[in-house]
Amino acid sequence: MKILIVEDEPKTVAYLRKGLTEQGYSVDFVGDGEDGLHLAQTLDYDAIVLDGMLPGLDGVAMLERLRQTRQTPVIMLTARDSVDDRLRGLGAGADDYLVKPFSFLELLARLQAITRRGRGEATTITVGDLHLDLLARRATRAGRRLNLTAKEFALLAVLGRRQSQIVSKTIITELVWDINFDTNTNVVEVAIKRLRAKIDGMFETKLLHTVRGMGYVLEHRPDGGPE
Amino acid sequence: MTPASIAPKSIAGRLALMFAIATTLVSVLAGVAIFGFQSLELRRHQAEELNARMEIIDAMIRHAGDPKRWPMLGDKLESFTPANGSTRYRVDCPDARFRFAPDDALARARDGVDLIHFDGKRYMTLTRRVPPYLERPEVRLVIATDTAPFDASRRVLGVGVLAVSLVTIALVSLLGWWVARKGLAPVDRLSQRARALNPNDLGLRMPTHDLPTELVGLMTAFNGALDRLQDAYERLASFNADVAHELRTPLGNLIGQTQVALSRPRDAGELEEVLHSNLEELDRLRCIINDMLFMARADQGALAANLETVSLAALTHKTADFLDVLFEDAGVALEVVGDGLVAADASLLGRAVTNLLDNAIRHGVDCKTVRVTIEPQPDGKVCLGVRNRGGPIPEAHLARLFDRFYRLDRAREHSHDVHGLGLAVVKAIVTMHGGAVFARCDEGEVLIGFTLPGGAAPSGDPQEPATRRGQPVQA
Repeated sequence: MKILIVEDEPKTVAYLRKGLTEQGYSVDFVGDGEDGLHLAQTLDYDAIVLDGMLPGLDGVAMLERLRQTRQTPVIMLTARDSVDDRLRGLGAGADDYLVKPFSFLELLARLQAITRRGRGEATTITVGDLHLDLLARRATRAGRRLNLTAKEFALLAVLGRRQSQIVSKTIITELVWDINFDTNTNVVEVAIKRLRAKIDGMFETKLLHTVRGMGYVLEHRPDGGPE
Repeated sequence: MTPASIAPKSIAGRLALMFAIATTLVSVLAGVAIFGFQSLELRRHQAEELNARMEIIDAMIRHAGDPKRWPMLGDKLESFTPANGSTRYRVDCPDARFRFAPDDALARARDGVDLIHFDGKRYMTLTRRVPPYLERPEVRLVIATDTAPFDASRRVLGVGVLAVSLVTIALVSLLGWWVARKGLAPVDRLSQRARALNPNDLGLRMPTHDLPTELVGLMTAFNGALDRLQDAYERLASFNADVAHELRTPLGNLIGQTQVALSRPRDAGELEEVLHSNLEELDRLRCIINDMLFMARADQGALAANLETVSLAALTHKTADFLDVLFEDAGVALEVVGDGLVAADASLLGRAVTNLLDNAIRHGVDCKTVRVTIEPQPDGKVCLGVRNRGGPIPEAHLARLFDRFYRLDRAREHSHDVHGLGLAVVKAIVTMHGGAVFARCDEGEVLIGFTLPGGAAPSGDPQEPATRRGQPVQA
């Protein structure tokens, strides 16, 4: 999976490059709009991460020019959380956008969403001895049926589809409750606590792990793992 | 150049100019009237003099019908005529024996009063026909008198009137300027006092006791504005202090624990633990900064875009669905009464309702039910109120509930979940939709909510539901 990063802030570039490379992406980067446009037009990228404010040709202008020839998926990064900027970016053909300061996990989730779009979805998920049947909306662990509410099942499915990946609270809020704004509530913590009691409570091997400051992972760690 | 730019900047200057203009107008009118009236009077006087001479000469000629006596009469007329020619006589007659005609020019004079020019002078003439007597046929008698003395009088009069007018204009302008300066002296005093106002002494006000009545209203209003400015200034100052305080706590933690971690060799697990803890603090900072930026935009008068028609009851139910586990944990039931439609950014308004419900759960005391009442108002607005058992909240605190970082309960100050911006964000969102927030407390119940302009979204083409993050992530 090839990604182009068009961004002029060296520290941002450095951590994005490192993080995305470690996630298995092949990453190119350029520091200004003109070069970015040239690369985007001549090479085939699976997605472009584009800063809205660039020296020379700015992000929105570059995107408008790119869209005349190419439909490569683009995620815009904008420092200004202004409605106008957002509409301008989406109007110019951005597939998604993130407001700085953004979380790396969110960028990752959005990149996955953009590049995987249209791919078929599995109907069953297995994590260790936990099985999820997404069609029947049924969950079992070690052969025993788990009694989950609809929201708890939705939460478990969101984590299960991303097993072994860290899922942030923001993404959980958006996918499970369709709430797409920052809430300063502890709803996710409470919901995770309840879900954990139901799926891990009576079992020696824990599957649902908390990654402090980042989010949650559903993962089978055979050696007991750090928890 | 516009008239405004010609006029002097100072009020005293302006008044002096206006006095001068008014005086000039009055002086010109009066001068012209006096001059005109006096000229007429001089002319009348001159005509009267001519008339008097005419009566004398007429009496001499009327009964002189003998041609032998006529040369003597001619000598008499000759002797009446002064050497400088200021008065002249002429008698015309078809019979040459009864004639006295030293100046041909006088023959031009018409009957009655006339003005003629000759010898480089101007003469006023009076002409009369004397009926025949004995041998003498009818004669035409002309008396002319030089108008120079009268013209001189008129000139003197004109110069006099002009001089008096000019002096009057100058005097009135000067006096006007002086009077205006005197009258405006209180304004000068005010300027001096206003110069003393400064941010270091916000309590300073303009004294109103020794001011003329016209200025008292202005200064009272000005002092009112100073009161409001002082209030806003002090709020801003305490708000800045609060921001610094809120940011200082997580920053202190970050610096401190990082320094402790680096002060001696640590294994990977310990370092990882520090990074996790740092991340939590950093996320808290991010939330505060994002909310501050959001509210700064609302303060700058940003309005919500992406308006769609939102049912407040449906929005409340969706929010309650999200907060379900919190309601359960707190043992609180939710009751939603009524509904109303508003044109709003559903995502933003959802955030406002979330914060209101969260606030109600968090601050309820012996609360079994949180009741949301949605009522369309007679004036077309829609009111949403969230009521829970709690309080009592003193009146002074109610007004400040929506202030940033304002907490009733100072003990909760460092609770990790609340950064004291929840209700401030509600206010910002409601303001962006052209609405207003309210908070009331009575008989052990707290009612917090907002009113929004009611009605469906204006445009005919329904917009995409506004998601703050563009495309949804695949579930």
